[in-house]
Amino acid sequence: MSIVDHAAWTRRGFLTGMGTAVLLAGLPGGTGPTAAATRDFRLRAGVSKTRLLPEPGAETEVWSYNGRVPGPALRVRQGERVRVAVANGLAEETTVHWHGLRLPNRMDGVPHLTQKPIAPGENFVYEFDAPDAGTFWYHPHQRSFEQVGRGLYGPLIVEEREPPAVDRDLTWVLDDWRLLPSAQISDDFGHFHDVSHSGRLGNIATINGRVPETFAVRAGERIRLRLINAANARIFGLEFAEHRPWIIAFDGQPVEPHEPEGGRIVLGPAMRVDIVLDMTGPPGGRFGVTDSFYRGMGYRLVEMVYADTALRPRPPDGPIALPSNPLAEPDIAGAKRHEIIFGGGMMGMMQGARVDGKWTDIRTMARQGLLWAINGVAAAGHVLEPLAALRRGSSHVLAMTNDTAWHHPIHLHGHSFRVLSRNGVPTRRREWQDTVLMNPRERVDIAFVADNPGDWMFHCHVLEHQAAGMTGVIRVA
Amino acid sequence: MRKIFAVLTIAMMLIGSNVTVADEPSRHATLYRNPECGCCEAYAEYLRKNGFSVTVKLTHSLPLIKRQHNVQRELEGCHTTLVGGYVVEGHVPVGTINRLLSERPAIRGISLPGMPEGSPGMSGPKREPFTIYEITDGSPRVYAVE
Repeated sequence: MSIVDHAAWTRRGFLTGMGTAVLLAGLPGGTGPTAAATRDFRLRAGVSKTRLLPEPGAETEVWSYNGRVPGPALRVRQGERVRVAVANGLAEETTVHWHGLRLPNRMDGVPHLTQKPIAPGENFVYEFDAPDAGTFWYHPHQRSFEQVGRGLYGPLIVEEREPPAVDRDLTWVLDDWRLLPSAQISDDFGHFHDVSHSGRLGNIATINGRVPETFAVRAGERIRLRLINAANARIFGLEFAEHRPWIIAFDGQPVEPHEPEGGRIVLGPAMRVDIVLDMTGPPGGRFGVTDSFYRGMGYRLVEMVYADTALRPRPPDGPIALPSNPLAEPDIAGAKRHEIIFGGGMMGMMQGARVDGKWTDIRTMARQGLLWAINGVAAAGHVLEPLAALRRGSSHVLAMTNDTAWHHPIHLHGHSFRVLSRNGVPTRRREWQDTVLMNPRERVDIAFVADNPGDWMFHCHVLEHQAAGMTGVIRVA
Repeated sequence: MRKIFAVLTIAMMLIGSNVTVADEPSRHATLYRNPECGCCEAYAEYLRKNGFSVTVKLTHSLPLIKRQHNVQRELEGCHTTLVGGYVVEGHVPVGTINRLLSERPAIRGISLPGMPEGSPGMSGPKREPFTIYEITDGSPRVYAVE
């Protein structure tokens, strides 16, 4: 099985293809199309082998859900209830975080903060509603720099009640891996160089758990492509040669359809972008999909290969706009403003930070594996004094400054926020996101209504940065 | 396999075949660095100013490069340079490199661990003498203090 199959499957085929996993996952036991149906799934985290590299490369030992990378695609309809029984077949504790879902705090999957971690051999049942349609994903929040890095993640797709008309609805879970020549994962997780610089980036890139060869398409078809960046640290900047993708959603939340700046779709770690890809090339044509994010290090991710016969003369006209999700609109004028400063890392000039309430110089911090800070605090673990305590129902602006030389995708749990401005310049579309990529030295203002009670993680999603201090808690009460 | 980044190819070649770099002309250096690290580029420029020709190779796999060249964890710096058959780890001042290349001791290379302030390519004042260690298969020994 090559990536051709992944990409070429129709949705029906996709589900059939995922059938093994979905069946193992005990797909929806007797759920009918009734309102507020509950959809049941099972996930088992464990060690397995998978083929990341094409033949004759060896198989790779990974940590995975239900034996595959990515884990099974959990598909539900907007408004449905999701129930996932998670079994821990790992030799260490784990949890599952439902990234981007606005769910009850106790279902958020943050060890010690929202639940007791799931011990080896134990189970935990997550149950929550899916209020927003869109592209989400799930992954552990326990030692995520290694657990996610070894392959524990999967897509969670919440379908619109009336999905837009497309020929195919596809998901690409993007990841990179640091492999040794033996095709096994290099075990240097938490390496100082990665932690202190851009995080752990790999030396191969995969789509849906395979180094892809080709992506089979047909002239005249319209594809909805859900991009999910599951990498620890790699930022993807995708270009579809001679094609003009339209962005229709960021992080599961609809956005005014638009073409990406410079034709390049940028996804920081944990971000999702839904695009509409109209196949305007000729039958038999071949076009590259390249990742050009890191200057001087571009590579071709996959090649789009057109079938010899067209599906129709040309793709359907007109952009697709998704119906908006029921998000509370922040009152910007009346919002309380909070300054948030991210510091640390190489070339950051940070002299030290507070660790466990005590000012600690950077050398001592580094010996404890801490190199990053939020508002002068380098956090260890998940149970923390809140950076801010917000009254439930009130509006807030987080005025964030990246005072470092590195990129940081900043994720807030339990909420989506509007991105108001970058370096003081208002954003054109005030997009909703749950993970916003901050460029080095950039200032970004975000706003949201604190309408979901609980202690919520607020952290960099470069998982090495998160583990090395760039993490905090925002309390809504 | 063509989708595998050049980096892996390089790493595989190096790791897979015990390549030595003894044939390299001694004034030519190959410097592996993180693509976003300005200090490492500043160090490459420092080498050029001091008479080396330098090929910079951008990589996200520095931990693999360091492992290939037997740079022990406690001796790691930021970038890794290959010159004259030796590995030079981190922001080593050029005087010590020149001494290494003229003495040609039977070691793998030398390292200035960490990223000390004031060292070539690094900002800030020099706060203390730099201790440069030998990279060998045994425990680290001091090669130079400057």
